[in-house]
Amino acid sequence: MRGGMAKGNMERAASGETFIFRRPTIGVLTPVAALGAVFIILLTASPLLNLFIAALAAGSRGLSSLLSGSVPTLLAKTLLLATLATLWALLLGVPPAWILTRTDLPGRRLFRVLGLLPLAIPPYIGALTYITLLGPVGPVNKAYQAMGGSGQLVNIYGLWGGVLVLGLFTYPYILLLAGSALESSNPAMEEAARAAGHGPMGIFVRVTLPLLRPSLLAGSLLVFLYALSDFAAVSFLRVTTFTTEIYHQLNTRFDQRGAAALSAVLVLLTLLVLVAQRKNLGRRSFVQRRSGAKPPTIYPLGHWKVPALICTYLVLGGSVFLPIALLLYQAGSAATIFQTLASGHRYLWNSLWTAAVAATAATVLALFVSYLIDRRKGPVGLLLTAATQLGYAIPGTVLGLSLILLYNTYVPWIYGTAAMVVLGYLLRYLPQAVQGSAAALSQVDPNLEEAARGLGRSSWQALREVTIPLIRPGMVAGWTLVFISSIKELAATLLLRPAGFDTLPVRIWIATIEVDFAVAASTSLILIATTALPLFLIRRLDSGISQLD
Amino acid sequence: MTLFFSSFRPTLFCSILLIVVSVSAVMPGPGGPEAGSELVIYSGRKESAIKPVVDLFERKTGAKAVLKIGKTSGLANEILQERQHPRADIFIATEAGVCEVLAREGALDSYAPARARSIPSEYKSSKGFWTGISGRARVILYNTGLVKNEEVPGSVLDLADPKWNGKIAIARTLERTTLSWLGALVHVLGEAKAKAYIDGLLRNGLKVLPDNSDVWRGVGSGEFALGLTNSPNYHLALKAGLPVGVVYPDQGPSGMGSLVNPNAVAIVKGARHLVLARRFVDFILSQEAQAILVRQAFETPLVSAMDAGEVRPLSSFKSLKLSQERLADLEERTIRLFPGF
Repeated sequence: MRGGMAKGNMERAASGETFIFRRPTIGVLTPVAALGAVFIILLTASPLLNLFIAALAAGSRGLSSLLSGSVPTLLAKTLLLATLATLWALLLGVPPAWILTRTDLPGRRLFRVLGLLPLAIPPYIGALTYITLLGPVGPVNKAYQAMGGSGQLVNIYGLWGGVLVLGLFTYPYILLLAGSALESSNPAMEEAARAAGHGPMGIFVRVTLPLLRPSLLAGSLLVFLYALSDFAAVSFLRVTTFTTEIYHQLNTRFDQRGAAALSAVLVLLTLLVLVAQRKNLGRRSFVQRRSGAKPPTIYPLGHWKVPALICTYLVLGGSVFLPIALLLYQAGSAATIFQTLASGHRYLWNSLWTAAVAATAATVLALFVSYLIDRRKGPVGLLLTAATQLGYAIPGTVLGLSLILLYNTYVPWIYGTAAMVVLGYLLRYLPQAVQGSAAALSQVDPNLEEAARGLGRSSWQALREVTIPLIRPGMVAGWTLVFISSIKELAATLLLRPAGFDTLPVRIWIATIEVDFAVAASTSLILIATTALPLFLIRRLDSGISQLD
Repeated sequence: MTLFFSSFRPTLFCSILLIVVSVSAVMPGPGGPEAGSELVIYSGRKESAIKPVVDLFERKTGAKAVLKIGKTSGLANEILQERQHPRADIFIATEAGVCEVLAREGALDSYAPARARSIPSEYKSSKGFWTGISGRARVILYNTGLVKNEEVPGSVLDLADPKWNGKIAIARTLERTTLSWLGALVHVLGEAKAKAYIDGLLRNGLKVLPDNSDVWRGVGSGEFALGLTNSPNYHLALKAGLPVGVVYPDQGPSGMGSLVNPNAVAIVKGARHLVLARRFVDFILSQEAQAILVRQAFETPLVSAMDAGEVRPLSSFKSLKLSQERLADLEERTIRLFPGF
């Protein structure tokens, strides 16, 4: 078949048909692509459909609860939290992304690894850190009172605490995506701007930033959607959002329909955000990724070295050093950590393999989806985008309950196995993999692939030899994001794990309810170290590809 | 036309292969359950409290059991969702009201173990759907550094005093023990008076926290002077070295007494290991299992002739006599009466 295809191409090339500078237009879905699309839509949309049916079944009761005064307030509060957290994450993520890829800051390679570490720290652990430090009886307020202050200097509970913590532990999404785009964008444009007399700042604002737009949007979207869907951190920080209210409906009232109605609102909200993002990306211009051309320009920092270092250290201090130092203090000794590891190695193994399988499956599906979306306009692409993006918007608890009902009813032999945990991760975090490869793919000119086909390569060869190498950083970033998110996942895992199958976050959660801080801290450190290791390996891989320096 | 067919065949093949491989790799499941012979226990009780009991059960009977530790209401939601193919055999709840909810939904099986006969009627289901295994009394916890014992009000009804303004904490109704306490107030005082009392507390700056561990840690750390919480939390705070004292409220001749919330065990309807499940319920009420449960978790024994250890036994204080069925009847009204609590 492939040979036939190549032959067909050659024949077309031989017949002189000009298709090299034309976007590939494919009229009809081929059976396999259609089958794949249907499979993915079924996989991702079925829990949603289930949710909407339940919400509709809530009928008048659900409707009245939706129209009651609390939902608009809840909507406003949740949107405010997500917006502020996203702005805060941009503020924390963009300057380091530029400093660490485009300047001669000493130790920038180490900083780039460290800068991603907050992704390895689950926001709920971050929330607990800041509650310990800035809580009503934390050292900061105690010191303030000892110095004669009355009341509290800072109040960690509420909206601002939520913004602080969510931003601090999600900014690496922006750092990662913006950094990878900065690394692989074509320096020729910046050189042109420099030749036209622009300084570094002017180049950044006029050339680099516009080129970064897809990556920044993708990163912001990840932060925004995370803030919408987070439950554990916001509930520790006593912020009321959609997810905490849904949890309340479920666990106080056992009102699964009311919870479904609220979740449906959250999903619609996400849909709106996604449509807005697509609109914003609609007028995109294609940029050829640098492939083996000159490396990006490195600016000497000069006397800006110290401020840049301070800026980097401040961001890392709040998001990495402080939480880890506190965890080390709470764990007490290395012996506790080794003991926890020895008695709980199977939890580590469970976490590792479920996250790895989910990340790999998500990456493969994402390549398929993003390719289809990028190369095919129209309803199928839109439907696929919507279906693969929305899993992220369903709170873990609701997704878990929805999957229990679906799979226990229709495929009971899968339910009750760890495959459910993998499926939960896959559905929640597929959007991250899709974002990663779609953002990368949008920078690849499809003419390149056409050209390869014109030179006699089959479509598969063109994809493998031209497109995939160009988007590999994006795919690797996507895999890493899914792996990291999965290995930290708690809400859906709690519901979907079979009896007797615990992961590291589940053990942290159990240790927290046991008020066993030493074990909770040790397990957290093991989780963070486990997540950090692939981050480090992948950074090395990335720098190998980009030949930085 | 055939572009997608040819370009995506390998990708799709890989993805299908991957899914098949991962599913088949997962089926026996490293660390997962070998479904079939094991008793499946969903426990809202903490692992440290229930695991020793389960281990002893395994040793005594030679049977195998797997545990899923979670929050009581979360596990109850799971049991409701799983009704078509029940996975759990045993449900252990930290609050019996949840069992009443499940019983009313038809998700529980009835069983009346012989040893439950000595348990007072308010701590077991009249139809045998659940049995109390130990209790937790509603108490006033106080910080001994901030309050002297004799200053602590003897009745919860005195907590609206301005001198406690902003100094009292309670968990929100997401903690079922708070919900049943509110229900008990509605039962004793009537809707209007209960509402007026709680509104008075809220005006007086009552702090509603996410859960009971926030309450006892907040009182222990001095963030709050008083906390309305459950009796075991006093012992947990002591064990953590925090300066706390405890008062069992409303003990006077006309006082309503302290509400005792039972932990409960229930058999899930359609349980795949019914015989083993019944043996487990018998076992958890036995002297040796009860000793572990009470000692580990500082709870009040409900079966007679059990040594309560450092915990105050049921016979030593005045408890509120109120059935869980009545509380379940009041639940919807209670929730509506105290929105946002």
